[in-house]
Amino acid sequence: MRKKCFLTLALAALMALSLAACGGEEAKRQETTVRYGIAGAWDSLMPYNSVSASNYARLIYDKLYDRLVFVHEDGSLSPRAAESWESVDGGMAAVFHLNQNAVFHDGVPATAQCWVDTFRLMTNPECPTLGRSQFSVFAGTDENGAALSDGSVAAEALDEWTLKLTFKSITTPEEFLLARNREFYVLPMHLLEDVAPADVMAMPLWEAPVGSGPLMFEEELVGSRLTLTANTDYQLGAPGFDKLVITVMDKSSLLTSLISGDLDYYAIGASVSDENAEAARQAGLTVLEGEVPTSFFELMLNNETVPAPIRQAIDLALDKELLCEQNTGELGVVTDTSMLSGAGHSTWRRDVGAAKELVASTPMDTRELMLATTSNRAGLAALMQQNLAEAGITVTIETVDSATLFSGMTDGAYDLAIASHTPSALPLWFTESRLKPGNNIFHIGEEALQRYAVELSAIHNAADDEARGAAIKALEEHLAEEKPFLPLWFARSLHVQSPTVEGIDYGSASCSNENVWAWSKA
Amino acid sequence: MAGLCILLLELAVVLIVPPMLRWPPNVTDASVGFWAAPSAVHWLGTDDVGRDIFARLLAGGRVSLMVGGASAAISVLLGAPLGVVAGYYRGGWEFAIMRLADVFQCFPSIVVILCLVSLVGPSVVNIILVIGIMGWPVIARLTYSAALTVRQKPYVEAARLGGASQAVVLREEVLPGAVAPVWAALAFRVGRAILSESSLSFLGVGIRTPQASWGNLIQYASQITVLTGRPWVWIPPGICILMTILAVNAVGEGLRRAMDPREEGRHA
Repeated sequence: MRKKCFLTLALAALMALSLAACGGEEAKRQETTVRYGIAGAWDSLMPYNSVSASNYARLIYDKLYDRLVFVHEDGSLSPRAAESWESVDGGMAAVFHLNQNAVFHDGVPATAQCWVDTFRLMTNPECPTLGRSQFSVFAGTDENGAALSDGSVAAEALDEWTLKLTFKSITTPEEFLLARNREFYVLPMHLLEDVAPADVMAMPLWEAPVGSGPLMFEEELVGSRLTLTANTDYQLGAPGFDKLVITVMDKSSLLTSLISGDLDYYAIGASVSDENAEAARQAGLTVLEGEVPTSFFELMLNNETVPAPIRQAIDLALDKELLCEQNTGELGVVTDTSMLSGAGHSTWRRDVGAAKELVASTPMDTRELMLATTSNRAGLAALMQQNLAEAGITVTIETVDSATLFSGMTDGAYDLAIASHTPSALPLWFTESRLKPGNNIFHIGEEALQRYAVELSAIHNAADDEARGAAIKALEEHLAEEKPFLPLWFARSLHVQSPTVEGIDYGSASCSNENVWAWSKA
Repeated sequence: MAGLCILLLELAVVLIVPPMLRWPPNVTDASVGFWAAPSAVHWLGTDDVGRDIFARLLAGGRVSLMVGGASAAISVLLGAPLGVVAGYYRGGWEFAIMRLADVFQCFPSIVVILCLVSLVGPSVVNIILVIGIMGWPVIARLTYSAALTVRQKPYVEAARLGGASQAVVLREEVLPGAVAPVWAALAFRVGRAILSESSLSFLGVGIRTPQASWGNLIQYASQITVLTGRPWVWIPPGICILMTILAVNAVGEGLRRAMDPREEGRHA
């Protein structure tokens, strides 16, 4: 009897153990991890403390913290923290109706007051906010984005879930969101209550941050790997995976890692060059073509060392069609303007003879110009060098990293530089940021800068669409005459479709946001 | 002998043939476009800028061989006198020079070269100087050990006793005897320098566009499409580097054997 009882007990224990083991196996099998490659590291996990303010860092913040809306590739907007929005006070303010299900990762609601307090703290001059100039669009701030007095930034909670932002000039909510949505995040103010503004950035909280984004912090290997877990309470729905492991990799390894199965996806939008798209196709992956231009190429010019006639000569000497083909294959269209609406309407023509005449008739200290480029565009620079040599302009190429290129242009170390940017549907997305005294990277003279400021102001204050169109035309004509920079082409992107993750909005990644809550991995 | 023949042939080709080519190395042939496949006009096709790869291979050969030869010469010019001084004078000189050589050699040379080139900028002259300077300890060690032996020889002792100054003894008696092993090492240094330049160019900090070198031609292979679909772009410079290294090593080995007394005995 005792033996039978022992055997029954042993059998029961064995069955219980087996079931437990099966359950464990089941749990393990169900945990899905999306492996995400990124070519650049984030420099901080605090979104208002990023030295680089790079798109790579923005994509990290986009996952941990919530933004007001999601910006699509074509410039359309869809709800995120804000469910809807409207223009009020004759266009001087915008009201955002927030999603009432929005909560921080610790369960505390992310209310309108949290947004207001975040804005007040980040505009407080005592708080060492990086990128504070983004707040300068709001009433109650100075030109650097600092509050004019304690809490003067014009952000107001109309009720628990309604946020009102007042601007310095007439701005539609859409204009504001297209231009700046990626710069503003809501912070967990309940965790910052007793901290002096000066000490905010040094808080240990940012080593394991609490946000209200679609993913939650789990672990970080600084500068190398970041593990995030799905926020099942996210107001737009829980991501269809358990973990997202972000690994910093060399840019050239991203596609090969995707092909070999080491990655599920890579930033930004798994974009691939026309050249490498063929390799992806041969490996059995699907390559998607972007619908709207996602990059704008320009030749930056130092207006101090390169006089206007030489700038005109450079424009005439460059074979933009050939350069565009070299860089984008069939995906680019040459342009005369930075405005996205001008893509495909170029009146550009190459005239080396006219360029030569301009060069010959223009006195210059030196005919040798320094052209800076990043290494991935060295071929493009070599082609430009040949084009310009035909017109009698000697160019020396300096291959540098992106940060050195921009700082070199700012310092005046380079005369020319090849740069690309993500365009926005807003007509002034480029000119407004480039043609202003605080960011005079083209070294434009004071007088010319004043004239651009007047023209930009006329566009902003235009009474109706017709007046606005006329003001934009006046600015474009002035730019064509002066050529402070050379618009080259707009290019669409190719995206390698993830073989393992569904629901990715590839094109929208170029707007520095990714719809991770809609991603799912089987 | 075969190594010497290959080297001389390579030198002749890279020096004589380029002016005869239809397409200069830095000019785009827009009529065939970018990444054209090999054809009768462009024997090795064109690169990402539409430039003739064969012309660039020859132009790159000039640069790579020049970097190899010039930097090896700098290593010898620096290392040989220092090694002889350390071996002949000994004492403080020996300590200072040989410990300095230890310091230089305790770092992986390619990493130091990479850092230095990044600091001073990647021009041909800078690359030659950096690779050359980093190569002196190997030469100095060779001449140092040879000088230790030579300074004991009766003819050196006789010169000293005959009233010759230290400088004269060093220059006239010790140096010629101590530098003999350097000739063999010189050939190896050429090979190492070519490889270093190629590595730097492959890593993107070597010879910069539009100038060609074998290293930056091979760099195209870092693009998956080129690696898998356009072998004619990267295999020829790879073969050139391989052949050159084998040739200089063969020359070096020949010189070493020619100067080794034991080898002489064996042949006798």
